[in-house]
Amino acid sequence: MNKPVIQMQNVIKRYYIGQPNELQILNGISLEIHEHEFVSIVGQSGSGKSTLMNIIGALDRPTEGTYHLNGVDVSTLDDDELSYIRNQEIGFVFQTFNLISRTNALKNVEMPMMYAGLSRKKRLERAKELLALVDMSERATHQPNELSGGQKQRVAIARAMANHPSILLADEPTGALDSKTGHKIMDLFHKLHQEEGTTIILITHSSELAEETERMITISDGNIIADTGGENNAVH
Amino acid sequence: MQFIENLRLAITSILANKMRSILTMLGIIIGISAVIMITTIGTSIQKTLVNTFNSMGSMNYFEVYTSWNYSEEDFGLTYTDNSEDRLSVEMLNQLVEQYPEYFYLNLSDDVGSFPLNNWKKQQISVNVSSITNFENLDDFPFVRGRGINQNDGNGLKQVMNVSTLFVEQYFPAGTNPIGQTVSTEIGDFVIVGVFELPDYYVKQMYNEGQQDIDKVTPVYIPYDTARHLLEKEQEPLYYADVYYYPEQDIDMLENLLNNYFQEIYKDKPYVQIEVFNMQSELGMINTVINVITIAISVIAAISLIVGGVGVMNIMLVSITERTKEIGVRKALGARNSAILAQFVVEAILLCLIGGIIGILLGVAGGVGIGFIAKFMVNQFYPEYAGMFKITIQPSIPAMLIAVIFSILTGVFFGYYPANKAAKLNPIDALRYD
Ligand SMILES: Nc1ncnc2c1ncn2[C@@H]1O[C@H](COP(=O)(O)OP(=O)(O)OP(=O)(O)O)[C@@H](O)[C@H]1O
Ligand SMILES: [Mg+2]
Repeated sequence: MNKPVIQMQNVIKRYYIGQPNELQILNGISLEIHEHEFVSIVGQSGSGKSTLMNIIGALDRPTEGTYHLNGVDVSTLDDDELSYIRNQEIGFVFQTFNLISRTNALKNVEMPMMYAGLSRKKRLERAKELLALVDMSERATHQPNELSGGQKQRVAIARAMANHPSILLADEPTGALDSKTGHKIMDLFHKLHQEEGTTIILITHSSELAEETERMITISDGNIIADTGGENNAVH
Repeated sequence: MQFIENLRLAITSILANKMRSILTMLGIIIGISAVIMITTIGTSIQKTLVNTFNSMGSMNYFEVYTSWNYSEEDFGLTYTDNSEDRLSVEMLNQLVEQYPEYFYLNLSDDVGSFPLNNWKKQQISVNVSSITNFENLDDFPFVRGRGINQNDGNGLKQVMNVSTLFVEQYFPAGTNPIGQTVSTEIGDFVIVGVFELPDYYVKQMYNEGQQDIDKVTPVYIPYDTARHLLEKEQEPLYYADVYYYPEQDIDMLENLLNNYFQEIYKDKPYVQIEVFNMQSELGMINTVINVITIAISVIAAISLIVGGVGVMNIMLVSITERTKEIGVRKALGARNSAILAQFVVEAILLCLIGGIIGILLGVAGGVGIGFIAKFMVNQFYPEYAGMFKITIQPSIPAMLIAVIFSILTGVFFGYYPANKAAKLNPIDALRYD
């Protein structure tokens, strides 16, 4: 069994804490995800998938419980340390791509490396390599508004991979794409998983796409109600 | 490295909203250009004064003159000019004896204008002045012979210094004037030196197109000789110039002179000796101009605050518009400090561009006004045009201060919005639409 990347114990997330309308979104999630896994998270809208994903991605802190990323307790880190974790360990892929406007594909891919303090030369070299990996070399100098949705998402995936992250987090990456393009993006994830050995967590509403992954976690009302196909579960 | 990146981002962002950027800069542009224009005019006036006075010869002397205190009721009625009360050569000589390390004299006087007949029996006119020392005067370069000095006066020698113009008028071409005698109403004088007339003198004294033969030229004879020939050896003076050696504390010398004369005149309350020095007068004028320039500049600089608030406002708008982008940058690993730097650099660049445009406009305005002033003097007062050394000079320190001030305005008014951006919660920023 591969070493664990994510270890969550009883993670609770609440909003409006101390106010009459206090909301508990995650009700004590315990979860372990290992290196090289390709996991999909499914569940109804509003069930808390994105909330969980934000905690995994160190964008947010749990209200209660512990979360270790590569053995580091994320809940104790300050803003700068969280920035560092996001920069080095996490690659985000968003539903709406979120490329920086008026900044060409190459510069977008360079951005995480810029925040990592890499030299211009190294950044450029790696960015070109990544664009080649997602088959976007020809569009390197295009601005985001000159790219199709699928192309934008390829650039976004290249950008997410820039600093060799431990996990690639994708929140409905095909949600804004037609199904054919969505499948192509999915193929790209498979390729990254197989060829680069990247650990991938994917939120999707498409059961078809979820079926393609090794492990499927189902969330309902802030609880994990099913976890199938994973290494731990295979033990049972 | 980050800085270059931030600069690139700032330029992209400013160029993306050109019109908005320019409107934002307007306050800064107006403030800075007003300050620069005012300081340009101020320094130009100062430079013009200094250059004008310098061109009029050295100023290292005090004008010392007799002045009567009339009371209101008997103004000019009861008092008759009693020559015993006036400044005397003895007083001046004693002053120099008392303070030889500070002062020296070079007394001069108008003797009068005399007609002379030249070699062709044409009539020309000379303006005779007497002077103790006509040596080493920067404005009157000698082309032949020597200047009159104290020894000539001591020996009551009848020698004369004349101009090159006089030589042309009086002698046949090619004559060596040194050693020649010139006969005047008050006596015969031997020419010992020939000097050249300075430009400002020529411009001031002679009209354009005037025939050389018609020009009245100045000639100089020894001071003591003149007083002797005119039998005015005991006659007191109305005024005199007391020279001082360079590099002295002028205020101290002025006090010294005032005290010296007050001691002599202490029993004569109705009369006194006044002391006037151009250099200290000029210093005072400069101080006044400086104060006025600074005062107006400070008032103009207040508009910088308005400009700064404009910049702050637009930065807040820009940050709100780009909330999502800030969230994405944070998700990609940007530290708060990186976001802060990005927006502060943008605010600084905005102000700096505004400041530089302001400096250029201000210099253009100030120089333009200077040229208009120059043109007006040349047009309406051509007789003074040669005398006034109008010098247009933008103030370099003011420009440097303006650049620093623009940067500070950017930092000051950019920090709050940038900090607001930096402190954004990444999730809230990402969810923003
Ligand atoms: N900042 C917040 N403040 C208050 N409530 C929030 C906040 N963020 C999320 N929620 C609530 O948490 C719940 C879960 O939201 P979440 O975005 O995790 O759902 P999701 O499973 O990703 O749904 P979808 O599939 O539609 O994206 C929702 O009811 C939402 O209203
Ligand atoms: Mg969601």
